[in-house]
Amino acid sequence: MNTQKIISGFFIIMAMTLNFGFFYGDIDKFSHHSPYELFATIVVNLIATILKLGDKTQLGSVLLATSLVADIQLISAAIVWGIALYVMHDVTNSAQIIVSLSGGALMANIVSVILFIGDTLKSKR
Amino acid sequence: MREHDTIFWIIVRRMRTPLIVLIATMAISILGMVLIPGVDSNGKPYHMNFLDAIYFVTYMASTIGFGEIPYEFTYAQRMWVIFSIFIAVIGWFYAIGALVTLVQDKQLLAEINLARFKRKIKDLKEPFIIILGYNNITKTLINKLNGTKRIVVIDKSQEKIEALELENFIPEVYALSANIDNPEILKLAGIKKRNCKALIVLFNNDFKNTKIALLARLLNERIDLVIKSTTKAQSEHLKNLGIKSIIDPFELIGNRFYLALDAPALWLLEMMFYKHPLKVDTIEVLPRGKYIICGYGRMGQALGKALERANLSFSYIDLKSSQYKQTKQSALFGDKQDYKLLEEAGVKEAVAIVAATKDDLINLTILLTAKKLNPNIYTIARENSIEDITIFQSAKIDRNYILEAITSEYVQLIIHTPLARIFLEEVYRQNEAWGERVVRMLKQRVGDEVEIFELKVSKNKAFALHQFLKNDGKVTLKELSKSLEDRNKEAKIAFLLVKNRKEQVTFLPPQNYEVKVSDTFLIAATKEAKEDFELLVNNINEFHYILTGKDLKFGILKFFSKDENE
Repeated sequence: MNTQKIISGFFIIMAMTLNFGFFYGDIDKFSHHSPYELFATIVVNLIATILKLGDKTQLGSVLLATSLVADIQLISAAIVWGIALYVMHDVTNSAQIIVSLSGGALMANIVSVILFIGDTLKSKR
Repeated sequence: MREHDTIFWIIVRRMRTPLIVLIATMAISILGMVLIPGVDSNGKPYHMNFLDAIYFVTYMASTIGFGEIPYEFTYAQRMWVIFSIFIAVIGWFYAIGALVTLVQDKQLLAEINLARFKRKIKDLKEPFIIILGYNNITKTLINKLNGTKRIVVIDKSQEKIEALELENFIPEVYALSANIDNPEILKLAGIKKRNCKALIVLFNNDFKNTKIALLARLLNERIDLVIKSTTKAQSEHLKNLGIKSIIDPFELIGNRFYLALDAPALWLLEMMFYKHPLKVDTIEVLPRGKYIICGYGRMGQALGKALERANLSFSYIDLKSSQYKQTKQSALFGDKQDYKLLEEAGVKEAVAIVAATKDDLINLTILLTAKKLNPNIYTIARENSIEDITIFQSAKIDRNYILEAITSEYVQLIIHTPLARIFLEEVYRQNEAWGERVVRMLKQRVGDEVEIFELKVSKNKAFALHQFLKNDGKVTLKELSKSLEDRNKEAKIAFLLVKNRKEQVTFLPPQNYEVKVSDTFLIAATKEAKEDFELLVNNINEFHYILTGKDLKFGILKFFSKDENE
C-alpha cells in the first residue's frame, strides 16, 4: 500500500465523481445543478492538478495535461456563471453553456481516471 | 530545453505541498463564508454568494482587509472569519516561506548555474580551451592565454570557482564547479564542439590525469591534449594514447639543468623560447664540481640523472619533507643531526647544493644551513609554490627552479606555438656542436633579442603568399627573408623549422626551400622583422615588391604611369 497513491487516487477519482454530480441533470434547469457542487469540483480538481505536478514520466505529463484541461473548463464555467448572475443579471440563457463546459471537463476527468487506473494495473508493486 | 526542464521540476516538486495547503485553506474559508447565514441591512437573513465570498477571502487571506462586505457580519460570521484568518494567513505565509527557501536551495542554484553554463558554451563561437582545475599554475595560464583563445574552467570545488569569478577575467572565463571524473561533465564543457582546441589537465595525481586523457581521447580525437605526468611509466601510457603534449615538470627541469651544466648553447636555444636573450650571463653559469642533492624524490632523481649525464659527481641525502616534519616535529631544517648529515655528504668540498624536497621552508633552511657550513657554496632551490617567491628572493638563493612557473610557462608556450614543442624535443636530442651552430646562425641573422612565432601558409594567416602559391607561383625562403625597405638586404629573420601538409618536419630548412601551401613555419626574428614578415605575407603590394622589386600599380594609377618594362 502506498499513501501517495491513495491520496492522489482519492483526489483524481473524487474530481471525476463531483464533476459528474454537477453535470448530471437537465441541461437548462439550474435547480439540477448546485453551485456548491461546482465549487467543490473546482477545489478538488485544483488539488488533483497539484498532486500530479512533479511526475516527469510520459504518463505523468499526460495526466497533468488532462487535469489542466478540466481546470480551465471548470473555472470558465464558474466565471460564466458569475458574469451572468452579477453583471448581466440574467442566468436563464447561460445554463447550457455552464453545464456543457462542465461536461467537457468531465470528459477530461474520465480520461484522467482511465490513465490512472491503467498505470495502477501496470504497476507491479 | 532539458536543463530548463530540471529547474522547472525542482520548483514544482518543492511547491506542491504549499500549493495544496493554500487551495485547501482558501476553499474551506470560502465554503464557510457561503454557508453561514448573515443579516442584510434590513435585518433579513441572507447567504453570501460565491463571488462575494471569494472576494472577501482573497483580500482577507492576503491581509489586505477591505472590511466586511456586502453587509456588516454577524457574530457567527465573525467567529468563522477569525478561524479563516488563522488557517488562510498561515497557509499564505507557509507558501511564501517555501518560495523563499526554494530561491536559496543549493540544488536549484546549482541547476540554474549549470543551465547558464550550458547556454554560454552553446553560444561560444570562438576557438576555446578547456582547463581542468583552478590553481596557481592554471591561473597564470589563464592570465596569459585569455584573449587569444576563450577559456573554460572546471574545478571540483565551488570555492575555487567563486575565487575565479572574483578575478573578473576579460573576456569572461566560463567556469563550472563539477566532479571532473564524470565524462558527462567533459561533454558539458564542450569537448565535442568543433571550436574546442585543447584540453589542459595538470593535476598532481598522475592516475587521474591519465584517466581524463583517455576519456577525452575517446570523446574527441581532434583536440590537443596537454596532460601532466610525473613518471616515465605514465608518460609511456600517454604516448601510446597518441598524446603529444605530455608535461613532465621534473623531466623539464632535469633537461634544463643538464643543458645549463653541460651545453650552454642548447640551453640558450631552449631559453630563447621564454624570451631569454641569446647570451649567457655569468651568474647563470652553473659551477662544475661535486654536487649535493637533498631530497631524492622525483625531482632529485631527475637532477641526479642530469648530473650523471654531465659526468659530474654528486652525493645525495634522501630526505622526505613529510617524514622529516613528523619525526622532528619541526618545519625547519638545521639541528645538530642535520649539520652532521650535511657534513657527511661533503658540504665542505661541494661546489653546489640542491634542495629538492616538497616543502619550501625545509628547502630554504637546508640551503641556509649549507651556506653556514660552506659560505662559497652555490645554492639551488626547488620552489614548489609561486606564492613563496618573495621569501626565496630575499634569501639570496643562487638559482630557483619554480615548479609551478616552469610548468605554466611550458604549457603556455606549446599552446601558443605548438611547433616550439617539436623544436625543443630536437634541442634535447641534439649535441652541443649543433646548438653552437644554430646559436651562431641566429646571432648573425637576427641578433640577441629573438622573438619566436608561428605562421601557417593559409588564406587567413598569409593571404598574399597563399594566393600566390595557389596560382602556381614558386617562392623560396631566401626571397621571403628579404627586407621590406630594400629587397637587396636581408631581413632579421630565421626559419627554425617547417612542418608540411603531411606533418613531416624539417629542422632549419635551407634557404632554397620552396614554400608550399599549408606549410607551418616556426620563425625567429626581431620584433620589427616579425611585424614586417606578417605584413609581407598578407599584403599583395609588399609581396609583389619582394618578388619583383617594383611597386604594384593599382586602380586608375595603372593608366597614368608608364612602366619602362611593360
